[in-house]
Amino acid sequence: MDKRKIMISPVTRIEGHANITIELDDKGNVSDALFHVNEFRGFEKFCEGRMYTEMPTITPRICGICPTSHTLASVKACEMIQGIQPTYTANLLRRLMHIGQNLSSHALSFFHLSSPDFLLGYDSDPAKRNIIGIAEKFPDIALRGIRLRKFGQELSERITGKKIHIMGIVPGGMAYPLTEDNRKALLEWIPEAIETVQIGIGIIKKFMDDNEDMVQTFAPSATLYLGTVGPNGEHELYDGKLRFIDEHGNILQDQASPQQYLDFIAERSVNWSYLKYPYYKPFGFDKGFYRVGPLARLNVATKMRTPLAQAEFEIFKLLNDGKPVHGAFYYHYTRLIEALSDVEDAERILNDPQVTSLHIQHHGRWNYEEGIGSSEAPRGTLFHHYKTDETGKLLKVNLLIATGQNNPSMNRSVLEVAKQYVHGADIKEGMLNRVESTIRCYDPCLSCSTHAIGKMPMVVEVKDRNGAVIKRLERF
Amino acid sequence: MNKIPIIIDEKKLETDPGKTILEVCRENEIDILTMCHLKGVLDIGACRLCLVEIEGVNKLLSACTTKVAANMVIKTNTERIKKYQRITTELLFAERNHVCAVCVANGKCELQNLGYKVGMDHIRYPHLFPQCEVDTSHAWYVMDHNRCIMCTRCVRVCNEVEGAHNWDVMNRGHQVRIISDFNTAWGESVTCTSCGKCLHACPTGAIWPKAIVQGQLEKKPGIINELMEKRKMKL
Repeated sequence: MDKRKIMISPVTRIEGHANITIELDDKGNVSDALFHVNEFRGFEKFCEGRMYTEMPTITPRICGICPTSHTLASVKACEMIQGIQPTYTANLLRRLMHIGQNLSSHALSFFHLSSPDFLLGYDSDPAKRNIIGIAEKFPDIALRGIRLRKFGQELSERITGKKIHIMGIVPGGMAYPLTEDNRKALLEWIPEAIETVQIGIGIIKKFMDDNEDMVQTFAPSATLYLGTVGPNGEHELYDGKLRFIDEHGNILQDQASPQQYLDFIAERSVNWSYLKYPYYKPFGFDKGFYRVGPLARLNVATKMRTPLAQAEFEIFKLLNDGKPVHGAFYYHYTRLIEALSDVEDAERILNDPQVTSLHIQHHGRWNYEEGIGSSEAPRGTLFHHYKTDETGKLLKVNLLIATGQNNPSMNRSVLEVAKQYVHGADIKEGMLNRVESTIRCYDPCLSCSTHAIGKMPMVVEVKDRNGAVIKRLERF
Repeated sequence: MNKIPIIIDEKKLETDPGKTILEVCRENEIDILTMCHLKGVLDIGACRLCLVEIEGVNKLLSACTTKVAANMVIKTNTERIKKYQRITTELLFAERNHVCAVCVANGKCELQNLGYKVGMDHIRYPHLFPQCEVDTSHAWYVMDHNRCIMCTRCVRVCNEVEGAHNWDVMNRGHQVRIISDFNTAWGESVTCTSCGKCLHACPTGAIWPKAIVQGQLEKKPGIINELMEKRKMKL
């Protein structure tokens, strides 16, 4: 059979770390899509030989958007090695910082990157379809989005003195307490932050009402889902147990300890991407694709922890009669419901009388050779797994990153969008943007370059089986 | 004892004979960059950061090991000296693997401060990226050779102050390394008393306690001289 290929390269804005190949059959219909990640960083390898206590400092450097999640997964692994638990106040402060990071990341994803699509339109002028375009046409919304992100970052800054790549989360607790002045200053943000998130929810709901067909058919991959939940199945970001559900909402695993992750998750390498393919072990590679992140977390959760978020969660659950919602577009909606929960939870924590206590760290030392920690990063469940020798030197490091777990599903979502919008060599600008938007739904952290103002440069090539270019479309 | 006249940076001074140029400069608040100097132990002139120009002498001399003489005319901050200080600093960074962002001493490191002081905005020399050992064998401390600048402050403090002489030096050139005993793992040393003085003497994140992470490191190099002064008082 004669095959043709469409190459989209690069997908990312600056580094060009990801390419997409769309394969056509002899009738010009899409037969397959490959999402290539070309970036190699090697953190797991070069951390070998270091002291395990250095990992909470090294691993946040993986990402400038979700460093706190890496620190938390890392310190939890360290605490398992030491056999200690953080203090009550340290848990409050960690939770607060994690909320701040989640809020900051979700604000960036929605207001800076995605809102131009919703407010200006997918097919509007690409030169203006960005946060600058929003600032010109909707200055209040742009400013609110920026301030919401600022609040998220202040939650870390007012505890540790740094907005990103924070210091101060240490095995056994925290290195810095929260002062009373900072507690009061953070509380002042709450009303504005709730209002901003609710405006965002209004925007996404209006878009969903106005574009029902598109939203319903936007990469609706039916997959399994993984997320962290509390003891009663409540939505959880910082500390909890794992829950796997199938595409119909049936619970496959519940209250599973993150330390048992290898019982449920296996990884496979493919020869066309540096990103591994994790899958749900009991179902095997072909049927075990699962998703993580805000959509997954709300699909697996039984309820939210806070009242306003719970009300919105109940509306979300009605979208598919209480069953999992599969459309990739709903990532945006669930991100905002999480943001609402974040702000409400921040208020609850800031009003806890113990939050300014100075009892912030338990002290420990190496006791065990293995440590596993997890946290819910903005993009999904994150695992750090360390093995050490008897002196604490790292022998093996495994980092299972959220975007890696979404990789198989991202690939499938791109295929579904391509099937809808690509027919033979007939490729239009709208298709490029929809492929890009599909990837953006997952907000992947394979490159911070998707977190950039403006359009992604893309080159789409339609190739025949012998590699000859039969059509080329460029956008820079 | 009679004072002797000297001139440092066009400033006329009177000082006691037998003192080093560095001592006189520090007494008179004249800033001189140092790295291998540690008050309380012998100076060896290893780092070459305290070089000064002396009238009538062609080559630059290290202020920490050169004693003052009557009518000496010394310059500490000429363009030539600044140029060499910048070169020396860049070479210190290029020789091993200094990654400040993830180092336990970040923000509290003498080498990092030196980089800021000489205005090091980039390094012109190719990094060697050597494969260096991280010795975690000691129960309380870590010796990370990636971050060692061979100032040998640990060697001298261990020998002169603690009297244990656990630390020493082996090899030459860029293969030079600090060793414990006769190149055994630190945890297996028969001489180390685990006193921790080398930790406080170390100017970088090369020697650090296992129990702490970035942001928690507190090194007190001043305690070495305090110890020596107290010993003198007892004598």
